[in-house]
Amino acid sequence: MISNALQTTLTAEEMQYARNLLGREPTHLEWAMIDAEWSEHCSYKSSKPIISQLPSTGSRVVLGPGYDSGVIDIGNDYVLTLHIESHNHPSAIDPYGGAATGIGGVVRDILCMGTTPIGFLDSLRFGDIKSSDHSKWLLKNVIRGIADYGNCIGVPTIAGEIEFDECFERNCLVDVVCIGVGRKDELLLAEATNAGDSIYLIGGTTGRDGIHGATFASRTLAADADRERSAVQIPDPFTKKLIIEATLEANRRGLLRGCKDLGGGGLSTGLSEIADKGHTGIDVFLDLIPVREPDMTSTEVMISESQERMLLVAKKGCESALRTIMDQYGVSYARIGEVTSTETIKIKRADETLAALPTQFLANAPIINRKANPPTSPRSFGSIPPPDTRKTILELLASPTIASKEWVYSQYDHEVGIRTIGKPGAADAAILALPNGKFAAVKVDGNSKVCHLDPYIGAASVLAECCRNVTAVGAEPAAFLDHCQFGDPNDPDIFGAFSLTVKGLADFAKTINVPCVGGKVSFYNEDAITNRAIKSTPVITVLGLIEKTEHITTMSFKQQGESIIAVGSTKAEFSGSEYFNLLHLDGGHPPQLHFDLEVRTQRTILELIRKGAVKACHDCSNGGLAVALSEMAIKGEIGAEIDLRHLSSSSRDDELLFSESNSRFILTTETPRAVLQHLTDNHIPGVELGKVTGHELNLVLPNHTIRLDLEVLQDAYCTSLGRILEPWQK
Amino acid sequence: MNRFPVEIIISNKPQARDPEGETIARDLVHKEGFHAVKDVRTGKLLAISIEAEDEESARKLAIKMCNDLRLYNPVAHSISVRVEHQI
Amino acid sequence: MRIAVVQFPGSNCDRDTVHVLSNVLGLDARLIWHRDFEDDSFDAAVLPGGFSFGDHLRAGAIAAHSVAMRTIRKMADQRKPILGICNGFQILIEAGLLPGALLRNSCLRFVCKWTTLQVENPDTPFTCALEKNSKVRMPIAHNEGRFFADAKSLNSLRDSGQIIMRYSNENPTGTTEEIVSVSNWNRNVVGMMPHPERASSPLLGGDDGLKVFKSMMEWTP
Repeated sequence: MISNALQTTLTAEEMQYARNLLGREPTHLEWAMIDAEWSEHCSYKSSKPIISQLPSTGSRVVLGPGYDSGVIDIGNDYVLTLHIESHNHPSAIDPYGGAATGIGGVVRDILCMGTTPIGFLDSLRFGDIKSSDHSKWLLKNVIRGIADYGNCIGVPTIAGEIEFDECFERNCLVDVVCIGVGRKDELLLAEATNAGDSIYLIGGTTGRDGIHGATFASRTLAADADRERSAVQIPDPFTKKLIIEATLEANRRGLLRGCKDLGGGGLSTGLSEIADKGHTGIDVFLDLIPVREPDMTSTEVMISESQERMLLVAKKGCESALRTIMDQYGVSYARIGEVTSTETIKIKRADETLAALPTQFLANAPIINRKANPPTSPRSFGSIPPPDTRKTILELLASPTIASKEWVYSQYDHEVGIRTIGKPGAADAAILALPNGKFAAVKVDGNSKVCHLDPYIGAASVLAECCRNVTAVGAEPAAFLDHCQFGDPNDPDIFGAFSLTVKGLADFAKTINVPCVGGKVSFYNEDAITNRAIKSTPVITVLGLIEKTEHITTMSFKQQGESIIAVGSTKAEFSGSEYFNLLHLDGGHPPQLHFDLEVRTQRTILELIRKGAVKACHDCSNGGLAVALSEMAIKGEIGAEIDLRHLSSSSRDDELLFSESNSRFILTTETPRAVLQHLTDNHIPGVELGKVTGHELNLVLPNHTIRLDLEVLQDAYCTSLGRILEPWQK
Repeated sequence: MNRFPVEIIISNKPQARDPEGETIARDLVHKEGFHAVKDVRTGKLLAISIEAEDEESARKLAIKMCNDLRLYNPVAHSISVRVEHQI
Repeated sequence: MRIAVVQFPGSNCDRDTVHVLSNVLGLDARLIWHRDFEDDSFDAAVLPGGFSFGDHLRAGAIAAHSVAMRTIRKMADQRKPILGICNGFQILIEAGLLPGALLRNSCLRFVCKWTTLQVENPDTPFTCALEKNSKVRMPIAHNEGRFFADAKSLNSLRDSGQIIMRYSNENPTGTTEEIVSVSNWNRNVVGMMPHPERASSPLLGGDDGLKVFKSMMEWTP
């Protein structure tokens, strides 16, 4: 039960700022609304000045950051929407409910634009599942939560990634991305622009669950986090499905002016954001809000984060038609307010006005300029022992971050909607068929080990790798989302890392000319027990477009006799790599990233794909060449004869096989000479490695040859995760 | 030592919604005319038998087991433990 | 041939099914909201996959009480072809139109993957375009696909040719005797766990599913 005492995360300065701006002491309800809206989670008060550096315009961009979702024009009057959400804190204490409601939340953002959700991606981070039962418990339940929710609403989860690192043991990260498609003329902007329009609250009832959820996300996890019960949200995908159907139909019939997701900060934030965008005001009638529990205070009603609720702005005169649709689908609704021209949010109960705040005030928190320290140089990692190459290759393939995620994605219905052309695991990015005959390629990537060593290069490298993955399937990157996840922003080292991260993203994005159309910043990913913050974790999602069916390229070796070509330079670069992770070596500088070379390499690969010269393509990243070649063989169920002696001047197996240098691809082709010539013409290194053939990976190295049977590779790669998580299953 | 049959019911906390219960009530029970049924909540039943000195010890052990083994998540669920008379 | 595809609250493969029937195969198929489905003059009906009523209580248990099922029953009595796909299969079982029960997968997980099936009985409106013992590829995606019937019922189903399709070389859900599809006694009502509408194009992974729907056009009772 929320006490009447003021529970707030606002600083004394912020409170004084509020008093000065308002010209009086805010009421209890007004304080609660300000607290929610000005929380870090909702207002981005620490990060706005920094993230405004990200380029956000481009020929395809219809809407950039600042709306519920980014919007991209894909031609033929169609648009794609994309958004990313996270539920880190809730998932740490209730992984099933937290992850499920995370999916529920991100799909609302897509729905609010009037577009149909067509795919999810999940990006997850946990501690070491081999040694920690707690992390195993978190992972299993997060997957189950995402599966139950996504499957029930009929939106396929088509791709994802999971990274494991000790820093996530008590602070798991659960990020979910949603992609939507729709017609340009049916796009809805969350704006209440017309006085006289009605505000409807639809979906679930309002209760005491989720109170202070926004502020919960804006603090570090307390020692008794297990008891943070009111911050938990109950998922209800059945109701969500009905809401999706009803809302899309209402939009198709032209009944809606706008639509708003109710997430962090509940009604308070939702109402102020739509009024702010529309430059209007809203009168809200508290008595008309359907509540689930008796005796809820006005504060509790306004900041509750009960799930499955949305705000619809119905055009004046369309209310009856809207109600008919809601009744048909069995979606509960209540008319709770009206758009006014007063530019004030007024909360009324009977004749009493409990709050009256100017719209501009609520939605525009004072910016906090935080101190940022310059980075410290990473320590050196000592010497690397000579590798047991064969053993290392198999260990890398079986390591949780690299191993096949089939155990995970087979729990996701990834086929519903009959758009999923690129299935999970088959190619570097997921591929969805679009209504205009083109295809969307989407990928989500993160690499906290590298970002920890150098936030600037690390972040740029993550964006580069994500673009590389999308390129490898034959798509041209069109836009990206960023999600920056860090510890406490009051720590100048952490805030410094955040600033450099965004700079790295911005600089590379400008070089490759891919705009940012949305994103999030999540601070406070650390806990009071271990006082440990997560490593810097920018998670990037890239959306690309494939123009023609013939361009679609997957990673599996296709047939005997194809030539295998390594594109790019392989140097002795191990810092932040999975190889170093196996050896428990830390430190050093991450692999270099030459921005221009990276961009030129990607463009050249896309040219080759579009010319029809490429049969299979895979980007070279985690685990280096060894893993990339193994994956291509495993998926294709054919082996290869590979000669690595001319790859670089190195004579060490690990420098050739496990290095994680940037800007590299492996491709197969039937016209190797033409491909090599094209690479040379574009000043990109390329070496023919060998041919696809047989049932084993035959690796000729400077000092010896290693043979790895396909079955041995498959066993390491395909069964690893299942063995760790469910050792009793066959 | 005696054997006690113990029933553990795990359900969503009373103040949390139970969407499954709500759907059964609305779309089946009330739709088919059972209006005297006012409320439906769902849960999971574990029926176990415990060797203990007396009912109170059996009850305490059952609760400890539920907490130690995370048979339920105290963040989202509540449990009710009922001990029958000894077998 | 007019085909009704019945939409329940929570169905999510309804539009996929109508798309394949209408746009890919050129049939006259339309989506009918369950409460509005009273017209038994349709020539055939399909209950699509999804999570009707959230799968609450048991998958298909609440939808089985829908007014739509009265119309389905009438059509079944008239020997018209009725296909239940995945959740549709579950609904037909709960409504007593198909034998047996569908329980939770033995691995206790949702399973989504492409599988190879063997056609056991081509003598139904949904398999007559296929050869007996032929193999087809279609994806499954479900939590409760483990077919169960007691020994006596199983014998009876086998003898009367009501087992329509089985898994060919695997059993991802632990279903009894690899059964994925059964029919009623008259073999006009068929339920199947795999999704034929998802096997409707080589780009998606295969188009064997089209033959299931094309069979309706070739069927003579």
